[in-house]
Amino acid sequence: MEHINFLITSMPDSVLQGGKGSNLIKLIKLGTNIPPGYIITTNSFENFIKASKFNDKLTELLSKPFESNEIIEHSAKIIDMIINTQMPESVINEIKRGHILLNEPNSSFAVRSSASIEDTTSYSFAGQANTYLFQKNINDVIKSVKKCWASLYSPQALLYFLQMKKKNDILSLENVRMAIIIQEMINSSVSGVLFTTNILNNNHDEMLINSSWGLGEAIVNNLVNPDMFILQKDEFKIIQKILGKKERKSIPNSVRSGTVIIDTNMQSREKFSLTDDQLRQLHELGLKAEKAFNRPQDIEWAFENGKLYTLQSRPITTK
Amino acid sequence: MKKIGEGLSCSSKTEVEGELIYIQSINDVIDLLDEAEDKICLVNEAGTTTLGPILSDLSGVICTTGGVGSHLVLVSREFEIPCIMNLDIGSENLADLNRKQVKISTENNNKGILYLIN
Repeated sequence: MEHINFLITSMPDSVLQGGKGSNLIKLIKLGTNIPPGYIITTNSFENFIKASKFNDKLTELLSKPFESNEIIEHSAKIIDMIINTQMPESVINEIKRGHILLNEPNSSFAVRSSASIEDTTSYSFAGQANTYLFQKNINDVIKSVKKCWASLYSPQALLYFLQMKKKNDILSLENVRMAIIIQEMINSSVSGVLFTTNILNNNHDEMLINSSWGLGEAIVNNLVNPDMFILQKDEFKIIQKILGKKERKSIPNSVRSGTVIIDTNMQSREKFSLTDDQLRQLHELGLKAEKAFNRPQDIEWAFENGKLYTLQSRPITTK
Repeated sequence: MKKIGEGLSCSSKTEVEGELIYIQSINDVIDLLDEAEDKICLVNEAGTTTLGPILSDLSGVICTTGGVGSHLVLVSREFEIPCIMNLDIGSENLADLNRKQVKISTENNNKGILYLIN
């Protein structure tokens, strides 16, 4: 298909798939468990912009120098143009065909931004582009795709590029491309982050894990104080367990697409979110990923019904 | 110097002094743009998205929630600036800390301490 790359059959290509997308494909080829899905390539985004009525207006807005106090107004104009422009029929048709070809076309989906500069070792774009979880139907998936495209022009993103320009950095919005990853949603009971080196004390003989109940967005977005585990790297051994508050969790919205944040009960807060067996599985995943990518990794993962899924892996950019 | 809070020190750089700015929205970031250099920013949740544009100018970040797995920690480590997560300041009012001179330091076992400098 012209606009989409299936995760399971494609070769990794960060220009077409963004950094996150191409890393997912590499992880599948390692034999790790990745939620099924496909990527809407960066070409689709470019074609959408070029074919739209607002292409000239967008070029004009981005080419003029603007001041920080104009950011909010510029951003709102651009986002409005994107959200109110119809997605090309060819892209919609491929998304619909892509859905039918997945195992569970009626499940919910994660819609994840995969920018072409994210997750490299040069630019810290981490957390700037959007993700939409638990999109319950094809229409909500399509709306979320446009919102991900639009997030490239959020006030925060425009500000980021304005600052880069002031520092005479060559990075500009013209260099950035957005792919979108659509994956079957994992309704995780517990999720978190695994560092294959202990980034608190730079000990490369240890691994460090943060985990908490529910979906992983609670940890990466600083919504909770998670449990922390330190493991020995060469051979599985638990060195330390620190109980976190785990005061809230992110769960699916029962009424509409998306998630909600709820308080956790006392019983959940007072016990560790991972068993020793789950720690052992994470340890094995960490060793495999670090060996395959030949450098320490920062891995986002989730458990659903006892099965471990890898959601992302990127190099640790720590010093 | 008065100790006003404690959290988890998450970055390779562990100590800094400077003016603290309490950031609550993107508007606070826009207001700070031309004077963000060497400031220490204090945020509640989702700090990375909000602080992203000025992180490379700051000399430290503090978040009242979160852990080492957050995006804010990753980016602070990239820029080699001190980062305290899950800061507990007891009954102190966060807004009262705005524009005050503070010090971040790290003690045993990655304890990140926030001091108010008189």
